[in-house]
Amino acid sequence: MTVIFGIAAVLAFLGALGVVLSQRTLYSALSLVLNMVSLAVLFLLLDAQFLAAVQIIVYAGAVMVLFVFIIALLSPGAEERVRPLELRMLLGGVAAVVFTVVIGRLTLNGITVGPGGRFHGGIGPFAPTVVNAHGQVQTVGEQLFTTYLLPFEVTSLLLLVAAVGAVYLSKRRRLVA
Amino acid sequence: MSSAASSVLLAVIVTLVKGILIVVVLATGFAYMTFAERKISARIQLRYGPNRVGPFGLLQPAADGVKLFLKEKAAPDGRDNFLYLLAPALAAAAALFAFSAIPINQTICIGGTNGAGPLSAACPGGYPLHWDLADLNVGLLFILAITSLGIYSIFLGGWASNSKYSLLGALRSSAQLISYEMAVSFALIGPVLLAGSLNLETVVNQQHSLWFVFLQPMGFLLYFTGALAETNRLPFDLPEAESELVAGYHTEYSGMRFGLFFMAEYINMITVCSIATVMFLGGWMAPFFFLPNWLGPIWFGAKVGLLIFILMWVRWTFPRLRYDRLMQFGWKVLLPLGLVNLLVTSFFVALH
Repeated sequence: MTVIFGIAAVLAFLGALGVVLSQRTLYSALSLVLNMVSLAVLFLLLDAQFLAAVQIIVYAGAVMVLFVFIIALLSPGAEERVRPLELRMLLGGVAAVVFTVVIGRLTLNGITVGPGGRFHGGIGPFAPTVVNAHGQVQTVGEQLFTTYLLPFEVTSLLLLVAAVGAVYLSKRRRLVA
Repeated sequence: MSSAASSVLLAVIVTLVKGILIVVVLATGFAYMTFAERKISARIQLRYGPNRVGPFGLLQPAADGVKLFLKEKAAPDGRDNFLYLLAPALAAAAALFAFSAIPINQTICIGGTNGAGPLSAACPGGYPLHWDLADLNVGLLFILAITSLGIYSIFLGGWASNSKYSLLGALRSSAQLISYEMAVSFALIGPVLLAGSLNLETVVNQQHSLWFVFLQPMGFLLYFTGALAETNRLPFDLPEAESELVAGYHTEYSGMRFGLFFMAEYINMITVCSIATVMFLGGWMAPFFFLPNWLGPIWFGAKVGLLIFILMWVRWTFPRLRYDRLMQFGWKVLLPLGLVNLLVTSFFVALH
């Protein structure tokens, strides 16, 4: 388990680095795919098979395919390097540090030191044993339509707006032409 | 050795053996499917087909394999070398990987008492031998996820070749796969609703009295039609329409690099037919009640073989669709029908 975690974590990290550092856009997109698939492996190690499958189907299988599709169609040239220490790079760096600290602090909240000085995740209401006994899809579905109904509906509204916007944009171009 | 370590070792060995078996069986299946395809097409066109190598031409696949390995690996100038070499490997890996969640027989309990009734997967005190590589809680989603990754191999292969035929084939293929994936997934939700599970073994076990094809005839037809498109078969083989695009996304590949794409295509056919068997045709269950159920893998193989034969029959019987008609058919016929099927099924499941 630890070995697989190590490999997946390193690959996820390399993928994330590749997105930022790669000079060619298509390779950036493919690095993001590597990152997403590695995250799916991490989900699998946490016994979250449903999340792992959805992560691959939605992100790697649907969203990124469209990204790669568009990038290859437009075939942009190599990226231009921005000058170092430009203001936006500085702001970006500050934002990255702030988010890392916030997320790290939140993650540490759930971690306790167990016997033998080993780190353990806290056991919440959705531990793997509980979720597996009830069924992974069933648990996610029930939570989505009860506890998290409002965010769910807001997300669907967002998708509706995006769809309407896409239709409007494509129609307008046709009218102009 | 402690019992925990030995059980881990046993699991590793069993998994390795299963993995090697899957690769060997699928590769052999691929070789003889190319042979079957040539023989069936010959029958339909009133020819003999390959009949020179070995009795009835049965050794033809071996000769083809030798030819593919020995051929010069010509590669186009101006290619993206890394992606050009990655694409065929990715295609074959995704095709082989997708099969790992398909159960070809009931779980067999070795050395323990079987759980209550044929539907129970419990095996206290013994070793449960699963007839798939990974007995996943969400097996169906896993297969869909892996096959959706297969799009990358086709697209990257076509793009990295730096050839207009390859690129056009790759673009067509990606658009087609994304469109038909929706219809295929909707068609598969019907049996999932009836079985109440995404675990493929549970889905098969739920069909012990009646196969889902009788409850979901519409779903089965939709799935099979969508599957023709997903595997790039005629009448939906626009990505490699030879009269327009030479050979589509693998135009610039030769030798075993082409062989890997070819293998992925045929193994995808096996996978697609296996999913149809598991979801609609009762998996390993005997086709008639008086036949013994313990021949599970044989029944499974027979059903998959029948479906593959129909795939080939269709290919050599129907003409190719025009590309815009293909997209319209996917979005305006298959998808709405799938939604209606889903609505009716959910209605009856809710009533039940």
